[in-house]
Amino acid sequence: MTDHDTTVVGPIDFIIVEFPAGESNFNGEMIDELGKLMDANTIRLIDAIILVKNDAGAVEALELSEVDADGPLAALEADLRDFLGEDDLGNLAAAMDPGTIAGVLVYENVWAGPFAAAARRAGGKLVADGRIHTQDIAAAIDAERELENLGA
Amino acid sequence: MRPGRVGRVGVVRAPIAKAAVVTRAVTPGPAPVAKAALVTAAVTPRRRRI
Repeated sequence: MTDHDTTVVGPIDFIIVEFPAGESNFNGEMIDELGKLMDANTIRLIDAIILVKNDAGAVEALELSEVDADGPLAALEADLRDFLGEDDLGNLAAAMDPGTIAGVLVYENVWAGPFAAAARRAGGKLVADGRIHTQDIAAAIDAERELENLGA
Repeated sequence: MRPGRVGRVGVVRAPIAKAAVVTRAVTPGPAPVAKAALVTAAVTPRRRRI
């Protein structure tokens, strides 16, 4: 992994990846791909935790080492910090369906840091950001096609 | 959960809603592979329409 430049901080994002209970697999391919992003210095993983929501809606938070004591998840945890607090975990779990398990990742977009710093030095300021999901693009394409068909 | 997480001031300020795209992702329509190809084409650089 490359050294992290601590003078420039990229935007911090989180994702919650939910699985039906009993069907989670946080090892293998997901960990490999995450490792590639970290090795390429595209992202820096800040925190990761597993949330389990039972059928009644109660949430349990498990550290990676509690799920996978000697495996790749535990190794991943060595470089992380406890960034998320107890209140955060409750707010994040609100997105989950009962009876599911989810992996939460918090990461710095290292790739964006130098650009953001350059923009600030140039006098610019971020006034909005967001994400366009592929599903929304597909929906827009479908809608355009329907309009074309109506006009034909 | 490690004790270090207890009592920390949170950074996620409100309950997070399930992403709306999750429901749209399972609506009927072309197969995911076909949709992926369309989306890829839509975001591939080309001359802009004016």
